[in-house]
Amino acid sequence: MGLSSVASNSEGMQLCIFDLRRGQNEGQELDKILFFYPADLPFSTQLSVIGLSEGLITFTRIFSPEAACEVIEAERHSHVFFEAEPDIWMVVIVEKNKEAEAIWRVEGLRKVLKEVHSLFLMFHGSIRSLLEKEPAAGSVRSQLYIFIMDYLSDFLSSKKLQLPSFRDSLKERATVQMLTVGREAAIEVQSLVRVVESCTGSQSSHSLLLFQDLLVSTTLSPDDTINLFTYAVLRLTPRALSAGLSSWSYLRKGSAASTAVTGPTMGSTTSLSEPFHGSRGTSAGDDHSHAVRPLQHDRWSKGRDGFLITDIWQAEPGSLVSVTPSIWLQQTEEKMYLCAYQHKSLTFIFLIPVSSVINGEQGILAVKQLVLEHASLKMLKVEEKLSKGWGGENAYHVSGYRYLLVDGDRNLSRASPPGKVATLTKDSLLALSKLREEVDIEKSRAKWDNDGHEKDLEICTRARNNAWVISQVTRGKELYMVLENANETLLYASDAVQKFSNRYCNGAFSLD
Amino acid sequence: MSSSDGGDDGSASSGAGSGPVVLGSKPIEDGFSQLRVTDLANGGAANDGDAEAAAAEGSGGREGIAAEVGEVEDGGAASARAGGRSEIEEIGEARVMWRSNSEGEGEAQGSPSSSGYAGERGSSGGSGSGSGIGEEEDEIEEVRSDAVSDSQAAWMPGKRHVDEDDASISWRKRKKHFFILSHSGKPIYSRYGDEHKLAGFSATLQAIISFVENGGDRVKLVRAGKHQVVFLVKGPIYLVCISCTEEPYESLRGQLELIYGQMILILTKSVNRCFEKNPKFDMTPLLGGTDVVFSSLIHSFSWNPATFLHAYTCLPLGYATRQAAGAVLQDVADSGVLFAILMCKHKVVSLVGAQKASLHPDDMLLLANFVMSSESFRTSENFSPICLPRYNPMAFLYAYVHYLDVETYLMLLTTSSDAFYHLKDCRMRIETVLLKSNVLSEVQRSMLDGGMRVEDLPIDPLPRSGSLLPRLGQGRPVTDSQESLKEAYAGIGGPAGLWHFIYRSIYLDQYVASEFSPPFNTLRQQKRLYRAYQKMYASMHDKGIGAHKTQFRRDEHYVLLCWVTQDFELYAAFDPLADKASAIKTCNRVCQWVKDVENEIFLLGASPFSW
Repeated sequence: MGLSSVASNSEGMQLCIFDLRRGQNEGQELDKILFFYPADLPFSTQLSVIGLSEGLITFTRIFSPEAACEVIEAERHSHVFFEAEPDIWMVVIVEKNKEAEAIWRVEGLRKVLKEVHSLFLMFHGSIRSLLEKEPAAGSVRSQLYIFIMDYLSDFLSSKKLQLPSFRDSLKERATVQMLTVGREAAIEVQSLVRVVESCTGSQSSHSLLLFQDLLVSTTLSPDDTINLFTYAVLRLTPRALSAGLSSWSYLRKGSAASTAVTGPTMGSTTSLSEPFHGSRGTSAGDDHSHAVRPLQHDRWSKGRDGFLITDIWQAEPGSLVSVTPSIWLQQTEEKMYLCAYQHKSLTFIFLIPVSSVINGEQGILAVKQLVLEHASLKMLKVEEKLSKGWGGENAYHVSGYRYLLVDGDRNLSRASPPGKVATLTKDSLLALSKLREEVDIEKSRAKWDNDGHEKDLEICTRARNNAWVISQVTRGKELYMVLENANETLLYASDAVQKFSNRYCNGAFSLD
Repeated sequence: MSSSDGGDDGSASSGAGSGPVVLGSKPIEDGFSQLRVTDLANGGAANDGDAEAAAAEGSGGREGIAAEVGEVEDGGAASARAGGRSEIEEIGEARVMWRSNSEGEGEAQGSPSSSGYAGERGSSGGSGSGSGIGEEEDEIEEVRSDAVSDSQAAWMPGKRHVDEDDASISWRKRKKHFFILSHSGKPIYSRYGDEHKLAGFSATLQAIISFVENGGDRVKLVRAGKHQVVFLVKGPIYLVCISCTEEPYESLRGQLELIYGQMILILTKSVNRCFEKNPKFDMTPLLGGTDVVFSSLIHSFSWNPATFLHAYTCLPLGYATRQAAGAVLQDVADSGVLFAILMCKHKVVSLVGAQKASLHPDDMLLLANFVMSSESFRTSENFSPICLPRYNPMAFLYAYVHYLDVETYLMLLTTSSDAFYHLKDCRMRIETVLLKSNVLSEVQRSMLDGGMRVEDLPIDPLPRSGSLLPRLGQGRPVTDSQESLKEAYAGIGGPAGLWHFIYRSIYLDQYVASEFSPPFNTLRQQKRLYRAYQKMYASMHDKGIGAHKTQFRRDEHYVLLCWVTQDFELYAAFDPLADKASAIKTCNRVCQWVKDVENEIFLLGASPFSW
């Protein structure tokens, strides 16, 4: 059972969400806590974690009113803070342990918090708005609990929760990985998108097209693209559906992990409600069964007509009638129906405004029918084209290089395939993680100094193991690189960067 | 430090409960409510009481060390009588010794320093008003008045902004705070503001540290936006830095270590036992008047690379001259002196240690800072108890200090508390020899001439046995290539856009830094360069993964190159547009140049270090 197995293997990590506007009076401090993992920790311990966090948020505001506490580094733990919504804080506490490879990059952990919150927003809307609707917060807590536990189950590897560590230094969360498409294929894709969107009969419908786990096209805003792309790669793409077959996705752990925690059915409600505090008054068990679990494993499958189906969304609590999933767009705050069509490696997701579909499920069915009629052939063709041009798992491997390329302005990243990154020595990855931490600090500093121009920085280090560990930040683009078999001179290393930049980055990192 | 003006302030300063806007406000109490509200309240309250008491004690017109000694003895008397030889008494005795020796000397010489700290106390009070000049950090964050900070106006020693406390906006916006407090939350030192008024704030710092400690951990760093809060726990002494400078955590932590070392240098680590006997022990009287020592150390964090390199630097001198100085120091070292050190400002002229005694560069830094920042050392000869934290943190040594001219001073260190007259004799012998052999005039000349300049970096690698010192060398012929290269860089810096370098010899524990030349015209620019070096140093010396070998770093201000080998470390700053290939060549040339003139820039062959 996903949830219970996460809950029982926790020692190293704690994660909490609390609301500073709640529980202001003495004796009501528990009211602040919206989520705590592990849930079976005594309240006194939970409160002391939140007390320290709150104390330091207040303390740091004395000196830094514009940015409160971001991280506490202690000898044995790191506490990473993220203010998800005004006065709603998420804090993750990880144990440092050199032997267990528990060496973290703060920004890497913060991105995990950001990601789970963004996904929550997409399915449930903001925590604050939910709290306003339900001041007792009983069902908000259940929703958060189920959602986050489902999310965390993806990090479960051999029964231990493994958050991104130094080994993930050549990955960037909250970015999209794109497929490089030839001109001809691009035209085909464009026409496909146009046809499908016209089938929806709404001006404000959107679509997202993926090939394997790579983005081909999007008409969504950047933030919404990241969220939906993230969700698709987690649960919708062919790889996600058949978890266990391959595991080359850039960001996700090998799917062996996910299968390990995916029970055939959702755990009994007792295993879920057990960690919940009876003292809160609400009957937690009921809440759990009501809560929608978009991140639950194995709840999506491909229907006979090519559309993906799920029973996650139900017409009403406890009913057996499933309805079309819906999500919230961050940009427009509009509620959209989510439909996904899959053909082989191609996943086509389109979103239709709930307000534009008059007769609910019937209307959706009609749209799907239209899409099948007008676009299924095009999908076939596009899939074929893309497959032909597709270089396979190692398509973006550049021999001799281990790299991560991030385009911050467009939220894109591309990296060496995980299988290739895995060949790097631990020392190189540690040095890279350390270097990224340094660059993270420089970037955040530049943000606060805000003197008009973006950080321009080039750092090229020869580590103790003779590997070159390189970082270049320029005009919103970032390049991280490890060269293990390079010659010892600095000139050789920078020459290698130059070549890479000219060939794969349109010269973005070239100096001359 | 709390001076005698603390009376009213002490009682006015409120604990966590009522006074300072933020600390007293509800949120922070709530934050620690589960465990710590009591601590906050108690800490604050206790401090109030003590502050008053201390102020009352101090109000009796005490003067300098004499009064302090009395106070220390008062404090330790009871326990000393009960438990035999008390540590407080030891410290007290040491101070008494200084005084009585000075007095003895007074009879003989007529111009002794009767009080080690009296003058400083005056100066620290006086400089409170002369603030705002010089140091950038002293400014309030948002105020970016380049005109002020770039001025070359001398840095003013002593504590400033004593009128501030944690409720003042100006105090909160200071770029870099340093605090020392005791484990019960009593303030011992604060860079800005009156310690007594900061009792509540100090209690909050203590609460944070002990809250994490109660959870079985130890807090090291809190980061918030541009701010870092760095914690260092040394037994019963807590040190905290709150900074929004760009310095990395490792550097700030190193600075706290040095501040702690400076405190140990004044008191020895046996002060810990005072806290074992009485956790609420008030340490401020023991450090009375030493504000100026701490503020001068803190100032050096922004200009003295020794503070992060853990190496010392020598005054450039002809080999024979330094040999002559070394020889006479060696003579006295053989007669029971532990260390004999001749320094000019913060640069070593020569240094000799008794057999097997080794002097850590950090100890030298702290000792030189102590001597140079204390006005009284300049006016007459002194015999003062000091502790070298890296040598033996538990025991006092005795330092005989005498200025030979305005900038050059001799320090003779011994373990014997009654060696004053012997050391005085030694000093007179040394002084005579130094005068006769012209060492002192050479020292002054070297100070005027300065050290290595990037403009003088030889292009031609041929003349191997070069000399840095114009009067010793035959003058450097300017080659054609040198001319043309210089022209290419329009007169700024050295060849290939070299602006500055630091070379650290690992075996010698010494470094040499080139003189500042354009474009480093202002203190602000110089400080920024040091901070960049500091960052590079921290980046290269990672404790977890071991030191890196090479680093090239380019940002909008510089190209920095760092090269770490078994023998040396080189840090070089170039024009940000410098070409990589020629920068590398230039670094090789710098290393060669340093090797060519090492006789003059380093102290060689001396054996103060036992490895």
